[in-house]
Amino acid sequence: MQGLKTDLAPSKNVVLPHFKYAAISFFVLAVLMVLSSPDLAGHYFQPSILTITHIAALGWGTMIIFGALYQLIPVVMETALFSEKIAKINFWILGTGILLLTGAFWHFSVTTLLPIAASVVFTGFLLFILNITLTALKATKKNIQTYFIVTASFWLLLTGLLGTLMSFNYRYNFLNLSHLHYLKIHAHMGILGWFLLLIIGVGSLLLPMFFVSHKLNIKKLQFSFFAINGGLIFLTAEWWIFNSSMLTPVFALIIAAGILSFMSYVYDSYKKRMRKNLDIGMKFTVLSISLFLLPIVLGIVASFRIPDDPLLFNRLLMLYGFGFLMGFITSLILGQTYKTLPFIIWLDKYKDRIGKTKTPMPRELYSEKAATIQYWSYVISILLLSGGIIFSQPVILKAGSLFLLICAIAYNFNIFKILRHKPIKK
Amino acid sequence: MKSPDEILKMEGDLLTLLKTVMDPEVELNIVDLGLIYRLEYHGDKKVDIDLTLSTPACPLGDAIIANVHEILKANYPELEFNVQLVWDPPWNPDMMTEDGKQMLEMM
Repeated sequence: MQGLKTDLAPSKNVVLPHFKYAAISFFVLAVLMVLSSPDLAGHYFQPSILTITHIAALGWGTMIIFGALYQLIPVVMETALFSEKIAKINFWILGTGILLLTGAFWHFSVTTLLPIAASVVFTGFLLFILNITLTALKATKKNIQTYFIVTASFWLLLTGLLGTLMSFNYRYNFLNLSHLHYLKIHAHMGILGWFLLLIIGVGSLLLPMFFVSHKLNIKKLQFSFFAINGGLIFLTAEWWIFNSSMLTPVFALIIAAGILSFMSYVYDSYKKRMRKNLDIGMKFTVLSISLFLLPIVLGIVASFRIPDDPLLFNRLLMLYGFGFLMGFITSLILGQTYKTLPFIIWLDKYKDRIGKTKTPMPRELYSEKAATIQYWSYVISILLLSGGIIFSQPVILKAGSLFLLICAIAYNFNIFKILRHKPIKK
Repeated sequence: MKSPDEILKMEGDLLTLLKTVMDPEVELNIVDLGLIYRLEYHGDKKVDIDLTLSTPACPLGDAIIANVHEILKANYPELEFNVQLVWDPPWNPDMMTEDGKQMLEMM
């Protein structure tokens, strides 16, 4: 059938291991947060926080994004992935690298294990970037979403490069400035450059599809693309090359304007939606976009070096990073998994039976009850953890982490229920 | 050759049959979604159907089209169906039937 892009979808063996790895990482992340919850009231540069952050950013966020992106490439770029073999090899390299890296942070083995681990992770990044770039080059139609994805990959390259340089610096000490300084650049390139641009690229195509809304203003996305990339280039140049923070508030505002433009695009899509009631996937998505306001505001405040009190400022920075990773990104993934994984499995199990016998709906592959538990335990955990960080309350942090663990258990229950789905007998 | 009334009836029957084909994501049938642009029964064995998808990037396009083929073939083995996937004009929500719009709002 001409014009169909679904023939271009990759094998499930490319995609599914990423979902499994990510779900288990999320569970491990929640367990570590329960064990280390008092540390969330301290400084972010300590082994437990570095471990948790990298499990969240790599094992959870990046791993699932890699898998979902391999599946969605035909949807976004209207071409098949350049190489499934590279993607499969990459999964093992990255998966091993993440294990080594988090082990190195947890035991703070920074002079021996960390450089090796970082190099393995960086190799995984390079293979991913190669695969995505070659895919984009062979795509005949290049839309704004393709540009978002390719530039996001470029920021991932820089994030990985700086992270690897920092890991070698523990041993060879060749960087001029403190690790905290480079960590700031590394984190912003990763969160704003990699995660955010990628989410906008894929989300701007998928969310209107899920909301069933049309006639959206593409110029908002174009503005968002230039504002976020431009602001981030200047911000990193100011920090990395000029070692200055004088113009940081200006660049922060430019980036914030770009983000708000994307949020406005999503809001238009939400308002124009034909489908009024939201399923669990879209409830999480709406929550995610709402939660995104917190780190935006905190980022702007922090760029002005407010508050003066270093202890309070540190808590604000902790909440800022937490808001991005565990708020915006995590809630989006928690929801969008339900908009992708059940459909991948459903197509795989029932594609030969469609139209011939009665088949279940994709949403019937998971437990609605577990998804609801996952939603509310997540909401409670975010409220408690945010409060615990700001007021530096270990008991609240512990309670919040326990709710996050409940969320992770419910999520894993559903993910493995979907993955182990056996087709209904004919 | 069939009479105009018989042709109309057959086209109606085929559309009713196609109402059993669902978009698995939206959970609405493809007729009320407005995805069938043209259904023409020629009175002999031939039936032409032009259908579209809500977006060219629809990840479930294969499943929907396979469903259309299977269900038509199973119920009318004596007919020849020429199903064309078309993109012009692009689908938009205004193309949904009133029933479809109501069903989507109630979901």
